Amino acid sequence: MTATIALVAGDPAGVGPELVAKLLGYPSELPAQIRLIAHRASLDAAAKVAGVALELPTLKTDDAARSKLAVARMEWSGWNAAPFEQGKAGAANGAFMLDSLKFALDLAQRGVVDAVCFAPLNKSALRAGGMKQEDELRWFADVLGYRGPCGEFNVLEKLWTSRVTSHIPLKDVAGLLTAEGVAEAIGMLHDALRRAGNATPRIGVCGLNPHNGDDGNFGREEIDIIAPGVELAAKRGYAAAGPYPADTIFVRARDGAFDGIVTMYHDQGQIAMKLMGFEHGVTVQGGLPVAITTPAHGTAYDIAGRGIANVQAMNNALAIAARMGAASH
Amino acid sequence: MNANAPIAITMGEPAGIGPDLCVRLAERRWAARLIGIGDIELLRDRARRLRAGVRIVPYIRGRDAAPGTFEVAHFPLAVPVVPGRLDPGNAKAVLATLDAALTGCLAGEFSAMVTAPVQKSVINDAGMAFSGHTEFLAERTGATVVMMLVGATAAGPLRVALTTTHLPLSAVPAAITEALVTRTVRIVADELSAKFRIAKPRIAVCGLNPHAGEDGYLGREEIEIIAPALAALREQGLAVAGPLPADTVFVPAKASEFDCVIAMYHDQGLPVLKHASFGHGVNVTLGLPIVRTSVDHGTALDLAADGAGARSADPGSLFAAVALAIELKHSRP
Repeated sequence: MTATIALVAGDPAGVGPELVAKLLGYPSELPAQIRLIAHRASLDAAAKVAGVALELPTLKTDDAARSKLAVARMEWSGWNAAPFEQGKAGAANGAFMLDSLKFALDLAQRGVVDAVCFAPLNKSALRAGGMKQEDELRWFADVLGYRGPCGEFNVLEKLWTSRVTSHIPLKDVAGLLTAEGVAEAIGMLHDALRRAGNATPRIGVCGLNPHNGDDGNFGREEIDIIAPGVELAAKRGYAAAGPYPADTIFVRARDGAFDGIVTMYHDQGQIAMKLMGFEHGVTVQGGLPVAITTPAHGTAYDIAGRGIANVQAMNNALAIAARMGAASH
Repeated sequence: MNANAPIAITMGEPAGIGPDLCVRLAERRWAARLIGIGDIELLRDRARRLRAGVRIVPYIRGRDAAPGTFEVAHFPLAVPVVPGRLDPGNAKAVLATLDAALTGCLAGEFSAMVTAPVQKSVINDAGMAFSGHTEFLAERTGATVVMMLVGATAAGPLRVALTTTHLPLSAVPAAITEALVTRTVRIVADELSAKFRIAKPRIAVCGLNPHAGEDGYLGREEIEIIAPALAALREQGLAVAGPLPADTVFVPAKASEFDCVIAMYHDQGLPVLKHASFGHGVNVTLGLPIVRTSVDHGTALDLAADGAGARSADPGSLFAAVALAIELKHSRP
């Protein structure tokens, strides 16, 4: 069954509106029903630079649940907000983004949409606009009132990665690793891959230390925490292999050995993924009760408004949201 | 240093893939005279196993090489070798080959040394402290060294140097000091000029934290330690950029703007080389009074265990290490 996706135009000061305009300019290729949450002035401007005509029907929240429209624009409070200055991060666009995302989550909780896909956000603007959490993921969890495990997945073509720790100082990483955390990350990645259509995902787990700790010579977390975490996950029905040295596991993944990799910290996965072309990749806000995806790249303020932003990652993000949303039926 | 002197090749762990790779080296012609350092009978055994048509002869100091041969400075092993099976009984002989190559380089008998992989654990099992070639050579020479990896990419050589090497990740942040960052950048800059003959090296330095700390939100080492160190170096005239987020600086379009990228820790830099070099990465020790290059892989005991596995092993990293040693041996430290 086709999913219905809340498509959020992201930072109105960045490339988000033109990415959305480009996607919606080719409605026959859309993988899901779309409920657009955007800002009038920036969407109009974006449609112009993208060279597409957008004549979208409007939906009120109360009517949306029954609607069979392939693409519709949601009526919401931000649609007529005052224009935002292109390429500038400020409290105004930050607050606007948070409002648009809240509205999308509200639609998900009402059952109007099956998943959320949003265009890039600017974190400084989000902070200026009132986000107190360390990142968008924690913000989503708080808005949803969700207290369980969650984590960011990065997806590049067929390879998914999750991490046990994320946006924290490196000095805090080792102290925050637990066997439970490792097992949770494996389990979440497993579930997400299955939701995205992979029935038997092959998951590899990274070590923490150089050479995988070299049998304890360069650190003991592999022995004391990560290996027990892999065992714990296996007991719960989530098979995974590892821990493996972080400097070679991605080379093996590139050669097709894994569908998913669990990393221990941010740069362990991000460095490798960006080398493999992650500018076309997708970030999935994993573990939450709503499937939420976004392109891995940023707001690209330097090229915003010029119509040259590449839509591939946005397209990929929407495709994953559509697959995950369809699985929630 | 005598640039015309031969290059010493230590054969590494006798049960590992090192001797097999040395046979592969002997099968080729090189633009320099190569001298294997290790057990000559071991190398002959491996050559027979690989059905390699090479003539392995003893190296005699002061004599010219006979054409079509591969010379070995013979350092006998203590215990017979079963490929794939470690034996602490040979650890001492392995270390002796490293000492011989180093001594020969210091004396001008050799112009460079290239090391095949050793097995750290079996040397430790034999009761000797050893945490790697790099550390061993630093200690023997009293030098302060920096480990640098070099890989060949479509955009040219990718060079990555490490500020810290074999430390548990939890110990890395405390080890990153202004003095260490300064010293590392200095050694890299000096050696790129002296050994790689790059007149004014362009160097990038990674941050420690995700997004290079994101203005202090994700860690303060960039603001408090790395940035001040780099600012002082820039004032001294060095072309050094950073601290930069590690996940974007290594993307080829960015990395190619620099002659070297300095990572803060092992797994920040090494995966990049493994990814970019397709098994042909080279490890170079900067800061030594000699030229030393090495393979970027381990002993591959599983491959070494039988002839078919040994034949299938990729000698690319050792070949690249020898090629780089030939390139660097003309340098004047």
